[in-house]
Amino acid sequence: PALGSLDKQVLANQKGADALLVGAYAALNGQNIGGTWSSGGTNWIYGSVAGGDAHKGSNSGDQPPINKIMDMTQNPTNGFFNDFWTARYEGVSRANSVISLLPQVEDMSDAQKTAYEAEARFLRGHYYFELKRMYNNIPWIDEETTNFEQPNTGETAATWAKIEADFQFAYDNLPETQSQAGKANKWAAASYLAKTYVYQGNWSDAQPLLNNIINQGVTASGDAYALQDNYGYNFRADYDNSSESVFAIQYTGPDGTGTIDNSRQEDMLNYPYGSPFNCCGFYQPTQDLVNSYRTDSNGLPMPEDYNAEMVKNDMGVATNEPFNIYEGTVDPRLDYSVGRRGVPFKDWGPHPGVRWIRDQAYAGPFNSIKHIYRQENASQFSNGNEWAPGSAVNYDIIRFADVLLWAAEAEVEVGTLAKAREYVNRVRGRVADDSYGDGWVDYTKNQPFALATVGSESEMTSLDANPGDWVVRTDTETTFVLLKGEASNAGNWQEYEDPNYTVSTYPAGHPAFSSKESAREAVHFERKLELSMEGHRYFDLVRWGEAKEKLDAFYDYMGGELGFSTYQGASFTSSKNEYYPIPQTQIDLTTVEGQPTLEQNQGY
Amino acid sequence: QNTSTISGTVTDQTTDQPLPGVNISVQGTTTGTTTDANGQFELNVPSLSDTLQFTFIGYASATVPIQGRTEIDVQLEPTTISGEELVVVGYGAQREKDLTGSVSVVDVDEMTSIPETQVSEQLQGQASGVTVVSSGQPGEEPQVRIRGINTFGNNEPLYVVDGVPTQNIDDLNSNDISSMQVLKDAAAASIYGSRASNGVIVITTKQGSGDITIDYDASYGYQVPPSGNIYDILSPQEMAQSVWTANRNSGITPGDDEWGHPQYGSGESPVLPYYIDPAGSSQEEVDESNYFLNPNYTDASALSSFFYITRANHQGTNWFDELYDPAGQMNHNLSVSGGGDIGNYLFSVNYLDQQGTLMETSLQRYTVRANTKFNVSDNIRIGENLSYSVSENPTFGTLDEGGPIGMAYREQPIIPVYDVGGNFAGTHAEGLGNPRNPVALAHRARNNEYLDRRLFGNIFGEIDFWQQRLTLRTSLGGELYSGAGHSFTYPEYENAENNTTNQFNSSSYEGYTYTWTNTLTYDQSFKDIHNVKVTLATEANKNKGSNVGGSTQDFFSFDPNFTNLSTGSGTKTNYSSEYENSLFSLIGRVDYNFDDRYILSGTLRRDGSSKFLNNKWGWFPAGSVGWRVTEESFFPESSAITDLKFRAGYGVVGNQLNVDPNNPYTLFAPSNVSSYYALDGSNSTPLLGFYQSRIGNPNAKWERNVSTNIGVDASLFDGKVEVTADYYRKEVRDLLYNPSLPATAGNASQPFVNVGSMRNTGFDGSISYFGNITDDLQFNSTLTFTSYNNEIIKISNTSNYFAQATNRFEGTSTVRNQVGHPVSSFYGYNVIGFWDDKEEISEAQAGAPGEKYVSDVYIDEDGNAVGIGRFRYEDVNGDGEITPDDRTFLGSPNPDFTYGINLGFNYKAFDFSMFWYGSQGNEIWNQVKWWTDFYGSFSGAKSKTMLHDSWTPDNPNATAPILETEGSFSTNGTPNSYFVEDGSYLRMKNVQVGYTLPQEAVSRIGIRSLRVYVQAANLLTITNYSGLDPQIGYHENDDGNANAGGTSTAFGIDEGVYPTARQFRIGISLSY
Repeated sequence: PALGSLDKQVLANQKGADALLVGAYAALNGQNIGGTWSSGGTNWIYGSVAGGDAHKGSNSGDQPPINKIMDMTQNPTNGFFNDFWTARYEGVSRANSVISLLPQVEDMSDAQKTAYEAEARFLRGHYYFELKRMYNNIPWIDEETTNFEQPNTGETAATWAKIEADFQFAYDNLPETQSQAGKANKWAAASYLAKTYVYQGNWSDAQPLLNNIINQGVTASGDAYALQDNYGYNFRADYDNSSESVFAIQYTGPDGTGTIDNSRQEDMLNYPYGSPFNCCGFYQPTQDLVNSYRTDSNGLPMPEDYNAEMVKNDMGVATNEPFNIYEGTVDPRLDYSVGRRGVPFKDWGPHPGVRWIRDQAYAGPFNSIKHIYRQENASQFSNGNEWAPGSAVNYDIIRFADVLLWAAEAEVEVGTLAKAREYVNRVRGRVADDSYGDGWVDYTKNQPFALATVGSESEMTSLDANPGDWVVRTDTETTFVLLKGEASNAGNWQEYEDPNYTVSTYPAGHPAFSSKESAREAVHFERKLELSMEGHRYFDLVRWGEAKEKLDAFYDYMGGELGFSTYQGASFTSSKNEYYPIPQTQIDLTTVEGQPTLEQNQGY
Repeated sequence: QNTSTISGTVTDQTTDQPLPGVNISVQGTTTGTTTDANGQFELNVPSLSDTLQFTFIGYASATVPIQGRTEIDVQLEPTTISGEELVVVGYGAQREKDLTGSVSVVDVDEMTSIPETQVSEQLQGQASGVTVVSSGQPGEEPQVRIRGINTFGNNEPLYVVDGVPTQNIDDLNSNDISSMQVLKDAAAASIYGSRASNGVIVITTKQGSGDITIDYDASYGYQVPPSGNIYDILSPQEMAQSVWTANRNSGITPGDDEWGHPQYGSGESPVLPYYIDPAGSSQEEVDESNYFLNPNYTDASALSSFFYITRANHQGTNWFDELYDPAGQMNHNLSVSGGGDIGNYLFSVNYLDQQGTLMETSLQRYTVRANTKFNVSDNIRIGENLSYSVSENPTFGTLDEGGPIGMAYREQPIIPVYDVGGNFAGTHAEGLGNPRNPVALAHRARNNEYLDRRLFGNIFGEIDFWQQRLTLRTSLGGELYSGAGHSFTYPEYENAENNTTNQFNSSSYEGYTYTWTNTLTYDQSFKDIHNVKVTLATEANKNKGSNVGGSTQDFFSFDPNFTNLSTGSGTKTNYSSEYENSLFSLIGRVDYNFDDRYILSGTLRRDGSSKFLNNKWGWFPAGSVGWRVTEESFFPESSAITDLKFRAGYGVVGNQLNVDPNNPYTLFAPSNVSSYYALDGSNSTPLLGFYQSRIGNPNAKWERNVSTNIGVDASLFDGKVEVTADYYRKEVRDLLYNPSLPATAGNASQPFVNVGSMRNTGFDGSISYFGNITDDLQFNSTLTFTSYNNEIIKISNTSNYFAQATNRFEGTSTVRNQVGHPVSSFYGYNVIGFWDDKEEISEAQAGAPGEKYVSDVYIDEDGNAVGIGRFRYEDVNGDGEITPDDRTFLGSPNPDFTYGINLGFNYKAFDFSMFWYGSQGNEIWNQVKWWTDFYGSFSGAKSKTMLHDSWTPDNPNATAPILETEGSFSTNGTPNSYFVEDGSYLRMKNVQVGYTLPQEAVSRIGIRSLRVYVQAANLLTITNYSGLDPQIGYHENDDGNANAGGTSTAFGIDEGVYPTARQFRIGISLSY
């Protein structure tokens, strides 16, 4: 007899179907299946690093397969692609397990079974969507497949239609609300269906569907879709599953498993180095991304020449040497997306600069921040059961801002530019006003864990402070950090002013929305700003057909102007780098009588 | 009954010493006895016209007609061979001269004189056909291979101790061993059919005889580890210099943003700081009274409140020396034995205490044994052999970059062991990489305890009937094992990356295996020339056990007397698992001997295993023949060739060891790390989820290992020279392997299917010489020789290789197991030199079909050469560029041959012996060099090679490539031949001088014999291997493909060995 496992027959009831369905959701994070970060659900490598949002980070010798993805020299033997492929097909396989179980279940009505099937097909649609945009040519495996050596070209590979069919079925058959916040509902299915239209450039189907979602959509908990008051709430575990969250990967804090496998493990490398988080200094935003947040005097972005001026950084400045932050105007989303010296790093105090960076010369001076848990509730939302932390901050596969910006794109393409501007302004409007939520990132964010909050310099210099301690001064409305030496010497303290935020919506008649071309550029750039470091950028660039142009310019700037050797000589190869290679391992494994059933992608 | 009593004394012909334990039998009967401790015997014989047969291991047997005498003194001639010795083979014993299968008889005395703590380690080089790879760590189980590699999974041989099969002899007290045989071919081993595929080692423990004898053996050894700059690490000043050199070589110059280092400043030349934490501080900048650190912090947030102060160690910390120290080893063995007509007994107690040279490692073992046998009547015997052992064996992972051993070559020498407050110092100091303090790692294991207990043995009964032609024996044997222990994970604070949790872990296991064997033996001679022996047997085997464990976090205090699973307040986890499998076998064997000239032997065995569903049963036949040419009348009488025997055998043995008992079934399972999910958004409680955990294969069947053996045994020059040689060929068919399925089938465990195939061929043999140089001086020597040639024939239907062991070459592997090559072959690019100048690069680039010859060495758009000084890889396929197709096989850790040389002299009361062991033609993947020879590998300690012998325009014939800040494809980024070295070595494993005190002297104080000896082990090693020790042990921490079935298929990778220590030992053996 088998010990410690069960035969499928034992699962052929509603409880069993529930458990298999949970298992199908559990593959969303990609953990314990392929790799850890290589197969994770947040796409930080394949979407954001590849798209120029971030360096790999850390130092050059660590995780070298990502080096190759960073400069588009990846090859089919890179094990990361196999991990990702493996994890997503396991997701497909788990979804198929649910679908094939249902006919054997006797204690469920047909209607119930249809709803379960819809949920499973939603998940299968998600896994295939991820595979499709990564690899393009993929074999289709469904609940009836028995021969798993399916080809990835030819008829079986007409996968967009099949993915659409899965989401359509889910849209038609899922309830509007669900008993559990993490479940997919009708509107999540609608949004994902819209996403498949968007990726195919099918604007005529996308536009009405997106408008419908924006007007009628609700979350699984029944809240009407809406942007949260504060942009930063999207990156806080205490605001998980908000009205803005269309479909998210659910993560846990300490969860009794003694592991971080359910705790956003795929981002475990992406914490500042030498910091309270311990490890590992990966996923460092690029200067290019940081510069993108510069605004003009009207508070509007500069898609054309954002790199004309550099947002000042602390390259080569020791943590105990003075540094003053950039004084030019920036979009406040910068500091919700990027950790930089002197600015509150969530509630962990002012970012200390190079002390939290593993190798500035290699990957620049910035840290990623969106996935970071907060100190105030770290015991609840961080998980210390590994050499690097896990966090309970959910990752939104689709959030409502994403939907609004697709809608803006659709309006540019097949609707009205006015409507497009309206959607873009809805997204910008939230950050344009610091009175929403708990406001912009400013010195008060340093208050909770400051050594002290004081009202004068003398109070400050009489504190028993060690280098690295920070103090919030109410008289100057700034933060002071003791750089080195004695606290009693006021000259040893560094004063950090608040960033200079200026941001506004596009006014009526603004030239950006006067032509289709300029509106398209404005919308595309808004996606970069709003959704940076969230795993989307590379895929957006590819579907827009802008990858070659934008990435080559990015490599030139980073490698040429700034001298990061990683990007020197890099270039995007058209008709090849739009997709990642089919993993060589999988080609080898599907070789039947010497003939591989999987065909390699063009150019690899 | 009319019997007569004969008595006498048996002595050694050359020394006149009495010989205890000599077997005496009346020819043609089963009547017999053994001599007592004084070499005396007394025997009732049916008739004074009978003939007595005297046999004793190490002596020529003597046949003495009684001729009416009642007192007979016999002198036996010592020899290393006799042919009359009984060799225990499957389910019975045979005279050595009747053997037709391939069997190595181990010289137990020689073997046990090697100062290793485990029998399997002592076996190294002592028996032909056996390859043993061990490490210096106390108690670490060595890799034992008999005639090569037979499967992608478990290759450990089957041990049969007193008739009880087992996989584990770790706790066997070698002092208890009386004989040891290695059954190498199918003809010899197939009687153990179902588990004999990897070869069989048969061990018999000692029996008592004669008057009460008390033996006491004691030894004390002093182990000395290597010392000095073992890893050739740079001094702190040189290390700082290497940073400057790397930056300059990478185009970074003073004044650039990137120039400088948190510790060494940003000047033209680096300056060592007074303090490394706070980084780069001078003595004036730091007030040591600000130091604050609580090493036993309980809340991770405390870390940011610490004020670290660590002074730089300008002389440099030698981390190897900090970890390793000379250590003692002690062994006491006491046995009481005796016997007579009513039976015999032996009780022994052994205490072994080996401290490891690496701190916090050791082996302590207590073993007791009771072997008794009672002659209930003339034809009924019952008895038992039982041993109980308790051992404690704290160890660290070897060949592991992450443990104390690995950190010893990774932690930089500028870091002292302790900070100014006496707490551990480490890479919390900026800019020194992320290794951990190895002393801290080892120290934190000090309170961990694991105790293993094992009861092993059998009880048996024998009855003879039909005038002793038939013997029925039943034996119930097995083992009852259990172990339990606990460990504590302390929070760290001194490193760049710290574990911040405190956790108590507890685990235990228990289980049993039983084997119930019933044999019926028929043994008869007809007309003195037809000797027939028939054995029929049944055997039932069952193995069942369980594991349980748990952990708890968050303790108020880390006092080891306080911490347990109940006293922590944080997350609690627990687990358990069970396993069970069984075998049943029917066995038949026929041995026929015609006039001592022609020998035939046949075995047939039918085995069933619970691991199979539709094909439970397999047949395993074997046969062998022998021809003793010297017995033929036509063979001329000659003293040059005393005995000559040709042997040939063929047989099939089975294997199912690697198969999971759940293999036949498609299964679903819950996993709280893989299939649970917080679907309700709770952030704290993942909900139950299931996933498909296994794809079943109900049609799996027995793997078949088909072997052919031809051999010759010769005794030359009046028995002074003895030669045994064998050639063999083994082919594993229907090899059970779980090939990876395409990911489209899901990630469930792939089933074992009978798909692979593998072949081993080889030659093994031994030559021994025994002779008297003068009357007082005897010389003996033995050479054993072992070779195997392994080749993978087939892996699966869809793939002809599988890769393993990625080490730090993320995504690419160092080991490739491929059809046509031996298991665990190293694979990568072949380094053929360096890119010396721009011309060389542009020339290669001009001939390349693509844009570049190789991705990271090229002429860029501005006409500058990138990558000068990096490795140039061989364009194996000659297509003008370096692509993955240019990877090639770079060697394998399988030796061409291994050999052992025993040399012994006896001069009067002195004895001298020496043992050498060598391994030839094996390669080692020296992964330590990845860490120490390349600046662009993880920051950490680096080697003198990197700084002083790396490529520069002035040093084009360097060892290492150009010193630059970042690694690249053409340096350390991909597996290449830089890491492959010849691992051949010859080691003087043992040299010993003993002195046996004159009997007259010791008998006055009531001692029968007393020998004292001094010994030195591992004094000398001859090798070209640049690493710490060419005997690198067994690669335990394979991080490769989980489908490859453990570690048998990826070994020989040195990522930090536990070096073998030199040992100096004194000992005594005394007998009352």
